[in-house]
Amino acid sequence: MTKREWNLSWNRRTKVALLAGIATLYLVGIFIWGLCLDPALYGVNYSEKLIAPCTEHWFGTDFMGRDMFYRCIKGLSNSLIVGVLAAGVSSILALVLGITAAIFGGWIDKFVNVCVDLCMGLPHLVLLILISFMLGKGTRGVTIAVALTHWPGLTRIVRAEVMQVRSAQYVQAAYKMGKTKVQVAVTHIMPHVLPSYLIGLILLFPHAIMHEASITFLGFGLPKEMPAIGVILSEAMNHIAMGKWWLALFPGMMLLIAVLLFDVIGEQLKKLWNPTSGNE
Amino acid sequence: MYLLEKMIRRAYSIIHCKVRPIIIVVQGERLMTMKKNRIAGIISAVVILAMTGCTQTKENQSISQSTTQNEIEKTKQSNEVTAYVGTSIFESSLDPIKGAMSYGYPFTNNALLKVNADSEYVGDLATDWSISEEALTYTFTLREGVKFSDGSDFTAEDVVFTYNTVHENQANNEYVDLTRLESITAIDEYTVEMKLSEAYSPFFDTVAMLQIVPSDAYDSALFDTNPIGTGAYKVVQYDTNQQMILEANEHYFGEVPEIQKVTLVYMDGDAAFAAARSRQLDIVMVGAGYAKEEIPGMTLEAFETMDVRNISLPVQPQQTVKDAEGKEVTIGNNVTCDKAVRKALSIGLNREMIIENAFNGVGVPVVHFTDNLLWASTETYEDDCQEEAKKILEDAGWMDEDGDGIREKDGQECTFEVYAAGGDEDRYRLAVAMAENALELGIKIEVKTTTWDEVTTLQLTSGIVWGWGQYSPTVLYSLYKSDLFLSGGYDNVVGFNNDKVDSKIEEALSANNQEDAISAWKDVQMIADEEYPYLYLVNIEHCYFVNEDLDLSMETQIPHPHGHGSPIVCNMADWTWK
Repeated sequence: MTKREWNLSWNRRTKVALLAGIATLYLVGIFIWGLCLDPALYGVNYSEKLIAPCTEHWFGTDFMGRDMFYRCIKGLSNSLIVGVLAAGVSSILALVLGITAAIFGGWIDKFVNVCVDLCMGLPHLVLLILISFMLGKGTRGVTIAVALTHWPGLTRIVRAEVMQVRSAQYVQAAYKMGKTKVQVAVTHIMPHVLPSYLIGLILLFPHAIMHEASITFLGFGLPKEMPAIGVILSEAMNHIAMGKWWLALFPGMMLLIAVLLFDVIGEQLKKLWNPTSGNE
Repeated sequence: MYLLEKMIRRAYSIIHCKVRPIIIVVQGERLMTMKKNRIAGIISAVVILAMTGCTQTKENQSISQSTTQNEIEKTKQSNEVTAYVGTSIFESSLDPIKGAMSYGYPFTNNALLKVNADSEYVGDLATDWSISEEALTYTFTLREGVKFSDGSDFTAEDVVFTYNTVHENQANNEYVDLTRLESITAIDEYTVEMKLSEAYSPFFDTVAMLQIVPSDAYDSALFDTNPIGTGAYKVVQYDTNQQMILEANEHYFGEVPEIQKVTLVYMDGDAAFAAARSRQLDIVMVGAGYAKEEIPGMTLEAFETMDVRNISLPVQPQQTVKDAEGKEVTIGNNVTCDKAVRKALSIGLNREMIIENAFNGVGVPVVHFTDNLLWASTETYEDDCQEEAKKILEDAGWMDEDGDGIREKDGQECTFEVYAAGGDEDRYRLAVAMAENALELGIKIEVKTTTWDEVTTLQLTSGIVWGWGQYSPTVLYSLYKSDLFLSGGYDNVVGFNNDKVDSKIEEALSANNQEDAISAWKDVQMIADEEYPYLYLVNIEHCYFVNEDLDLSMETQIPHPHGHGSPIVCNMADWTWK
C-alpha cells in the first residue's frame, strides 16, 4: 500500500467515524438533556398561550403556554427511552432466536420460522395496538408492545448469517474437536455475526421510535400528561385548522432528524464494520 | 409512516377542494419516493404540511369572501340549512323506543311533555294531566287532531303501545327507566292512565323523555335511521356516518317551519371548522379552544347549558373494604377525606381564572348545579377566598414545613391525583388549570388521563372530572345516596354517607307533586354541600359558529343538556333566515 492510498483510506475512515460520532453525540445529548430537564421549563404558563416562534420561545408555545422547545426535547428523550428498551429487548430476542434456529435446525428452526412469519404476517401497527391495548395502554403498554414486535426482521438476518458461517471449515473443525453446539455458537459464530447484528440493532431504533409516536398519536400509547412526540403531534392536529403551524412543524422535524441520524449512524457503522467495505 | 399518513389525510381534509390538485401531486410523489427513500418522503410531507398550514388561512378567506354572497342567496331561496352538530347524533339509534333524543331535543317524534326555555314542563302531545293523591296514578289528556308523518292519526293506543314496548324491552333502553310502571291503559281515544308500583316523583321527567311512536307502523330496524313520528321534521335520507337529511313534516301539528330542509353532516371537528371557513356550513359546533377564532360571515354563539363539570373528592380515609360481590377493594383518599381540604378548594379556587385559562373564558363559574334547573340549590358562596382557605387548612394542621410550597400534615403531603377520562381534551385542560390554581393554596394536584373503564377503580381513591347536565333531579340520587357506593357503575363514587340526606332523597322520590319534590331535592343539596364532596367548577357553554343571516330563535332555545353538539337542534322549527 502506497502512502497516498493509506492517506485516502485513513481520511475515509475518519470521516465516517466522525459523522457517526457527531450523530451519536447529538442523540445522546438530547437523551441526557431531556432526563435532567427541569419540569418547570416545559410547565404550564397561562400568561404565554399560543405564542408563535420567537427568540424567547424558539418553537413557540402551545394552548397551555408550555414552551414547545423544551417539551420537544423532553418528548424526544422519552421516545428515546422507549426506543432503547425496545431495541434492546427485540435485538436480544432476535440474536438468541436467530442463532438457536440456525445451529440446532430441525423442528426448532421450523418453530422459530413459524413465529417470525406469524408476527410479520400481521400488520405491524395492528399488532402494536393489540398488545398495547391488552396491557392497559400507558407507558407500560406501549413499551412492551414496541419491544415485543421488532424482533422478526432481525431474527431472519441473524439466522441467515449464522447459516453462512456454520459450514465454514473452522466451525466444522471446532465440532470435530468435541466442542458442544452452544460452545461453538458462543465462541466461533457470535463474533462473526456481531457486526450485522449491531447495525441491525441501531436501525431498529428509528422504527421503534416512529412506532411509539404513531400509536401514541392514535391514542393507544403514552398518556396525555407525558411529553412525547406522539402526544404533541396529536394535540397539534386540533390547532392546525387555526393556523398554529409551529405546534406540528417543529416536533415533526425533531422526530424526523432523530430518525435520520439513526439511519446515518447505522450506514456509517456498516461501512466501518462490514468486512468487504471496512478497509476501503 | 402511519403517523404521517394520518397527518396528510387530515391536512387533505382541512384544505379541501381549494388546493386539492397540489396535494394529489404531493401524495403521488410521496408514494413514489417512499419506495426509493422513505426519508425524502417524510421531509416533503412535513414541509408540505407546514406550508399548507401557513397559507391556507389567507386563501380560504379570499375565496370565501367572493363566494359568500352567492351561497347565502342559494340557501335563502331554498330554505335549507347545513349544519355540523357533532357526531354523537350519528352514533346512536334515532328510535325513541331505544332511548333516542331522550335528553330533550327530539325533532322527529314528540313526547307527552316537553321542557320549555324556562326549564318548566309543558304539554307537547298531552294537553292536560293530573296526578293522584298517593302519586301512583298519572292521567294524561292527549292532543287531538295530531297526525304522524305517514298520515295516520295519533291516539291513546300509540301511547300505550310505546310505553308497553319500552317496558317490555327495558334492556334496550338505558335512558328511559319504566321499571316502576305497573300498567298503562287507554281510558278513551284521547286519555291514558298510568299506574306506578311505587310513588316516584321523577316519573314526570321520564314521561318527557319518552317520545311516542305509531303502534301500527313501528319497525325496530327501520326506526333506527328513519323513525315515523309527529315531530316537525322527518328523515328523508340517512347515510351512515356521512349525513342525515331532514325535511319538514307536512303533517306536523304546529306551525309550518320556515326552514324546510336541514342537512346534518358527519365529519371531524377540525374538518368541519375548515368547511365552515369555506362557507359550506351554516352552523358548526366548535370546542372552547376555538372561541378566539374568527370566520367571516359567521358569529360565534355561546349557548347557555345546564352542563356542569365537577370533581369528585373521596370523603373516606384510605382503607380496604369488601364490595357487593365480596371482592376486596381499596377505597378512600387520605388527603381528600379531610373536609378542610375539600372546603379550602371549594372556596379558595379562583374559578373565573381557571375558566379563562382552560376555556378562553367561555363558561360560567358555579358552586352547584345551574340556576336554570328548577331543583338546583340556590345557596351560593364566594370563591377565590384564598386567605380564608389557607386559614382553614392551617387550622386543620396542614402546614408547609419543608418550604417546598406544598403543605403536609403528620408526614402526609397534601397531594392527590385527578383523572380526566375518555380523551376529552376540555376536561383535561380544566383539570390542569385547576391544579395550577390549587398550587397557590399549597395543594398539589397531579392531573392524569385515563379511560372510562379504568375510572371504575380509580374513582374510589382519586378525583375524577365529571360532567353532569340533565333535567331530571335523579342525578342527586346517584351522587349522594349512601347505598349506591360500591354498587358498580359511576354512582356515589366519593363514598358519601349521611342519614339525613338519604331520608330527604326518599322524601323527594315519593313526593306526589313537583313542588314538594323540588323542595326536598333542595334540602338534599343543602345538607350534602356542607361536606363539599364534589368540587363544582364550571357551567360550560356550548360554542357554535352560526351564519350571520340565520336566526336560531334564542328565546325558544332550551338550556342545553349534557352533550355538546346536538342540543342546538331543539328548536329547529323556529329557525328563520333574517
